[in-house]
This record gives sequence, structure tokens and C-alpha cells, in this order.
Amino acid sequence: MAREAAQQTMAEMNNAAALAAEQPLLSVRGLSVRFDGAPKEVNVVDDVSFSVSKGKTLCIVGESGCGKSVTSLALMGLLPTPPARIIAGSAMFDGQDLLTLSERERADLRGDRMAMIFQEPMTSLNPAFTIGDQIAEGIVRHKKVSKAEAMERALDMLRKVRIPAPEKRLRAYPHEVSGGMRQRVMIAMALANDPQLLIADEPTTALDVTIQAQILTLIRRLQEETGTAMILITHDLGVVAEVADEVAVMYAGRVVESGPVEAIFDDPQHPYTIGLMGSVPSLGRRQGRLATIRGTVPPAELMPKGCRFTPRCPFSDSRCANDPPPLTEIKPGHRARCWYAPLEQHLGAAS
Amino acid sequence: MSVAPVTNDFILEGIDLKKHFGGGGLLSSPTVVRAVDGVSLGVQRGETFAIVGESGCGKSTLGRLMLRLIEPTGGDVRYEGQSILKLSKSEMRRLRRELQIIFQDPFASLNPRMNVGDIIAEPIWLHSLASGKDKRERVADLMRTVGLLPTHTDRYPHEFSGGQRQRIGIARALAGDPKLIIGDEPVSALDVSIQAQIINLLEDLKERFGLTLVIVAHDLAVIRHMSDRVAVMYLGEIVELSETDALFDNPLHPYTQALLAAIPIPSPTNRQPKALLQGDVPSPAAPPSGCRFHTRCPHARPLCKEQHPALETAPDGRKVACHFWREIQGAGAGSISAPSQSPALAKRLALYRTWRERQDKAVTASP
Repeated sequence: MAREAAQQTMAEMNNAAALAAEQPLLSVRGLSVRFDGAPKEVNVVDDVSFSVSKGKTLCIVGESGCGKSVTSLALMGLLPTPPARIIAGSAMFDGQDLLTLSERERADLRGDRMAMIFQEPMTSLNPAFTIGDQIAEGIVRHKKVSKAEAMERALDMLRKVRIPAPEKRLRAYPHEVSGGMRQRVMIAMALANDPQLLIADEPTTALDVTIQAQILTLIRRLQEETGTAMILITHDLGVVAEVADEVAVMYAGRVVESGPVEAIFDDPQHPYTIGLMGSVPSLGRRQGRLATIRGTVPPAELMPKGCRFTPRCPFSDSRCANDPPPLTEIKPGHRARCWYAPLEQHLGAAS
Repeated sequence: MSVAPVTNDFILEGIDLKKHFGGGGLLSSPTVVRAVDGVSLGVQRGETFAIVGESGCGKSTLGRLMLRLIEPTGGDVRYEGQSILKLSKSEMRRLRRELQIIFQDPFASLNPRMNVGDIIAEPIWLHSLASGKDKRERVADLMRTVGLLPTHTDRYPHEFSGGQRQRIGIARALAGDPKLIIGDEPVSALDVSIQAQIINLLEDLKERFGLTLVIVAHDLAVIRHMSDRVAVMYLGEIVELSETDALFDNPLHPYTQALLAAIPIPSPTNRQPKALLQGDVPSPAAPPSGCRFHTRCPHARPLCKEQHPALETAPDGRKVACHFWREIQGAGAGSISAPSQSPALAKRLALYRTWRERQDKAVTASP
């Protein structure tokens, strides 16, 4: 009891300190997105909250279908409605709620103060226009500059992302450059107007490991230079460990665990996070078989009423199946959505 | 430069294998792509052999050459000591029972118009291994073996998830009682949690049926976990061939060193700036002169541009193709240090494993 009370006061103190320090650049609260035709009560994104501050990186981790891309598209105002509908929540970006903006206001924001990098650089570049044209287009749209000035800026951006022979590449078409180069072009395009927030959706998944390392280093360096806040969406725990300040682990549309990157890796709480870490082969000498997570994500119509991880969780019981656990603070800033966290305290004795 | 392996019990050997694309007829492209250029390797019985490299290095082409799914431009493939290149079509078909492949994309490699039962039964029928009731029982058996429900035989591939489809592909590969299976990026299209399931399944099957596995992959962590020996490829050539632990502990070739340094390490504690490889892989249609890696190599010297390094054998039996491997030895040692687990993670992971086993037992107990 006394310990709980102490924890609470500590948490309050921490909250107060955080408030005094800095308002986050983007603060998402209770975001829920529903697809038309989905079963009742099953939102594809359900009560998702997170925030990201200037110059910091938030990684959203999860497997396919966990809602990480839908979340980012909702923030960018790129969700196709219908079928997708935002049914609850707010996303405060620099004093404005992104979710209530008109289409026009959103278009003014997109590519200017917030920008996005997509996973597949081949399909997100227009094959019929040169690289220079495509970068300049965004600059002309948001800044009062001539086409020539925009092209000059585009050339600057290509230099900044370290593309060799930038003058030549400016006139090249997307098919004429390699995958890693295309991703650099995407980054140049996204950063052309010095955005305050960059959302990168699996920016390195399609790339080879040596190219991935180049791109991650590049993004980090540019972020240091410009102070851009970043939301990086990935399924790769290695990438998370290398770039994140804060982490949100998503499973089946809900944030199941969130906190500072050290807390997530050194003190993981949710069984899904733990299972995920056990599933990744170690780079060191082999230590027996991999731990696995049973089965797959259930389809929407079979989604349990309570915790959505119930059917796959080794620790689950009837309580988990019926009551959705809240996202509880375990330590200041570190939250987990599990009835039994920390596991060893609740289940250690029984094993 | 064919290194004739004399010792060892090789089940499958490639000798000076070459595959060049293009440059043939009137209508084909005049540029010749040397996808695989003089590769020799031997796969030992019962081992897991990995071929690793970045896209365009020729690893998939090599995998297909080893099964004679495509005809080599030069060189030889020997299975159980016999060349398989001279076999007739029908002889080759009989041999395919023993040599199987699992493909990367579980969405493209299964016929969408066949139900799962037929997909798995096809090799059984093709090789006349069983018919009627026997065949059905065998299919049900195989499905159980790979962790699918035998009641799902009537379903079509689109009704399954990616991981389940990969299991179907594995069941089909197992149907003819193979001796050797090549997995061409068998887990890279799958989610992390599903990937771990398939890796464990492949290891179980290897043990149970005494298989030899050849894994073609780009994910070095998966390779370290699964394989006994590794061949690293760059632009159609093997640059290093070594036992897995030795390769990861002390990579000899500068390309292997760079590859290992580029892996993101899943631990946030000691982040440090890395020495990165610059530039892209050159086009295999116009590979650089001399050592093909010299354009990106941090240790390159004038000799590297002029002379092509042979794959030489180091004293400990490892093979490396670099003029200066002795001098740059140790440049990559310890480049990847496995992150040590925090006590909290280790404790919870142990707890997770215990309960996870219990979960499996509960399933087998209640059908």
C-alpha cells in the first residue's frame, strides 16, 4: 500500500515536471478508427494515445495488421473515408487538432509542417516526372517561390541527403536510380519545407541491410540538424533500439505498452512485447530454440472482448478474455496494458 | 579455380558454377549479366548451410542452379557424387523427390485454384507414392506435421495467413520424403512472431527427418541462429565461406565485416556511430575490375583494382577471397557484440517460456 502511494506521488511529480519542461509537439489522445462493416466494438485503431516532442523520435512497433499504418494515415489526413472513420480522439499538433481540420487546412499542413515517408519508394514516386520536378512541386505549393528557385532548393536537398552527382539526378526519372537512392529522394522531398514533424512508415523495410544503415544514419543526422520530431513506424526491434527515444508497442489496434526505449528493452512488461523479443534471433551465439508467440492475430469477427492478446497469450485467463485491461503506469512514463504486469509478481509464485 | 573437395561427406556440390543472363540471341539484350560467376561449394550431409548476400548478389540464382531449376552456363552440380546436369528429364523428375525447395513468397508460390489437400498431394501423386485412402492419410499426416489442421484440406490458399501458407509450402516440400531442402528466403516475408514459428518448425523437421537444409537469406540474425556454415556472396561470387560462429566472431573479408556492422542491434544501451559502407552494389552487368568489392571497400589498394583475388583457404579451413585478409584481420572482430539481456528481461523471458510450453501441452491434451 505504502509503496503504491509512493509510486503515485512520484508519478505526479514526474507529470508536473514534464508539463513544466515542454509541451509535446504532437499529442494524440484516445484515437479510435473504425472501418465500415467491421463487427461492433472492434475498431481497427482503438483508444491510441502517444505524444512526441521536438527533436525526439517515437517508434511505433507492431506486426502487420496492428494498426500502425492506419494511425499514421489518420494523422496525415490520408485515410480513405469511407470505409475508414475516425470515431473518437484528438491529435493536438502545435495547438491545432489535426482531426478537426478542414481538407484545405490539412492540405496546407501536409508536406509543409508535417511530412511523410512511405515504405515503397518505387510506388510513391511518380514515374512520369523527373526527381527534380517532384521535389520542387511541394516547395512551390507551400512557399512563395518561382519554379527556378524551387529547383535550386531541390538541388540543395539532394546534396543534403548525399546523393552523388545531384545535378544529374535532378533530371533523372525514378526508374533510373536504385532503391536506396529513391528512398533518399523521398526523404529529400519530405524535408524540403523543413517540417516540424516527420512520419516515416517502414522507411527501410524494402532495403538491404547496408543501405538501411545508411538511410537510418542519414535520417538521424538530418534530425539533429533540423530538430524535426519523428514518428518512425517499424516492425524491426533492431531499428527501434537504434533510433527511438520513446516506443509504443501496438497489437491489434491498441497500444499494449509504451515508454522510454530503455524501459521497453530492459524492463518489458506486456507478454506480447516479451514474446516479440523472444522471437527475434540473437546475434550472439545460439541459445536454444526461439521463444514463439502462438498462432496469429485473430480476424476482426473473432476479436476477444477483453484483452486482444488473450488467445495467444500464455498467461491469459477468463478475466483477460472478458475485461479489457487499462493502460496502467508501471513506472513513471512506462505503461502496459496487462492485468498481470509485472508478471513475476503475479504469476512467478504459481509456476 | 575449382577447389575440388576431397574429404567430407558432401550431399550436394556446385563446381565452378556460372550463370550468365542475356547476350545470347538476336532479340536478347546485348549486356551479359553474370549473376553467378564461378562459384564452388559443397553442402555436407545433415548440416544447415546458408548463402547470404544483398539483393542482386546472385544467391537465389545459385540456389536454383544447385537444384537444376535453371541450366548453368558453365560448371557442374553433383548430387551424391553424381553430376545431375546430364540426367534426362524423367530421371531429373525422379530426383526432384529428394531435392526440394521452399520459396520466399507464400502468396505467389501456391496455385490459387487448387485446394490445400491437392497442393500437398500433388508430389505424392506425381511420384506414385500412394493413392486413395493412403494418400489422404499421408496428406493429413503432413498437415499435422507442419502444424496445420487436417480438417482444412478443402480450403484454398487465399483462406490462409502468410505463415500458414508457408507451412503449406513446407508440407508440399516434405511430401516426397526429400533428403535436402533449399529454402529461398523462407521467412523473410513473414512477421517476426510468425518467422520464429517457421524457424522452429524447420529445425524440428530437419531433426525429425534427417534433412539437409540450404537457407538462402539476407537476414544475418536468422542465419546465425539456424546455420552451421555460411557462404557470403557479393556480385555473383563467394567472398567468404566459413563456420557460422567463426564468421560472426571474426569476419575475415571486408564485405562480411561491413555487412555485420550494418545490422541494427536490438539493444538501446550502447548506441554508437558505425563505420558504414558507402554507395550501392554495382550492377552485375558491369562488375568492377579486379576485386569486385574494391569500389566500396575501406581497405582497397591499387592491387585490388587490377587483380582478381582467388578464394584461398585460411589455416583454420575458412575460405576468403581478399588479397589482404591477413593484414586487415581483426578489423571486424567484435563488430557485433550480442546485447546482454537485462535481468528483468531474462527473468520474464524464462517465465514466458515456461508458460508457453504449458500452453502447448494444454493444446495437445485437449484436441
